[in-house]
Amino acid sequence: MMTLVSGGAGSGKSAYAEALIVQSAAAPRVYLATMQAWGEEGRQRVERHRRLRAGKGFLTVEQPLNLTEVELPQGCAVLLEDLSNLTANECFGGVGFTGAEERILTGVDSLRAQAGELVVVTNEIFSDGVTYPPETARYLDVLAQLNRRLAAQANRVVEVAAGIPIFWKGENL
Amino acid sequence: MRLIIGGAGQGKLSYALRTYHYTPENVAETFSAACTERIFDRFHAAVRAALEAGEDPQRLTEKLLEANPDVIILCDEVGCGVIPVQREERVWRETVGRLCCDLAEQAESVERVFCGLPMRLK
Repeated sequence: MMTLVSGGAGSGKSAYAEALIVQSAAAPRVYLATMQAWGEEGRQRVERHRRLRAGKGFLTVEQPLNLTEVELPQGCAVLLEDLSNLTANECFGGVGFTGAEERILTGVDSLRAQAGELVVVTNEIFSDGVTYPPETARYLDVLAQLNRRLAAQANRVVEVAAGIPIFWKGENL
Repeated sequence: MRLIIGGAGQGKLSYALRTYHYTPENVAETFSAACTERIFDRFHAAVRAALEAGEDPQRLTEKLLEANPDVIILCDEVGCGVIPVQREERVWRETVGRLCCDLAEQAESVERVFCGLPMRLK
């Protein structure tokens, strides 16, 4: 089972994604963190997410790049947070833009093969009407394509707004 | 007329072509070309071009609907960012949003596409 969860900043998408994992029968619970915490704001963000997960029995795996390297217990419940961050890491670090989309899709495929339940958190950052510099525009294109391709593969696609899930694909629990 | 909205890159055009059985040859990207085509893609960009040329996008939209009452209009949602510093950017965002409200009111259907998936709003 794969669920794609999207939404704007502060929409409650992380809490919702986490609830999906907690409600799932799959075990153990793995939090796959893609963020490299730079500076005070980054550390605070990581702390906030750690507090949210405290006591829920998550095993944290940090993997900012190369998802295919991740080895997980078969049948586990995985929360991948998040796709926009991972895409930025792949595009602007690592080997760069070339093949980034396929690398990430292959990585997600490999997670799906190992996990009983996979929840992928992504971001809605496509409705601001801003014309960005070419590098940023290219990043947005890659992320938009990934969102669409993962949505096509997913069993459920959920947009979270003000903490409320909107089902674009699949059924509410 | 039908209206299809959604963020940039969400797959509005692929959805429209697939759902309404048209091909890329049926797609226009300017007000004048859209008067005789099935699909008007990138409406938001045509509105920007009209404003830059000193034309009135509302009048152009009215003329379009008179000439082509069955057109399918695709438009990016552009109003969810920080208010732009530049006046032209602000006017453009606002104009696109207002025109979409007018179009939605007149449309036979309004759909929103998100991650390639449609949701019918009207």
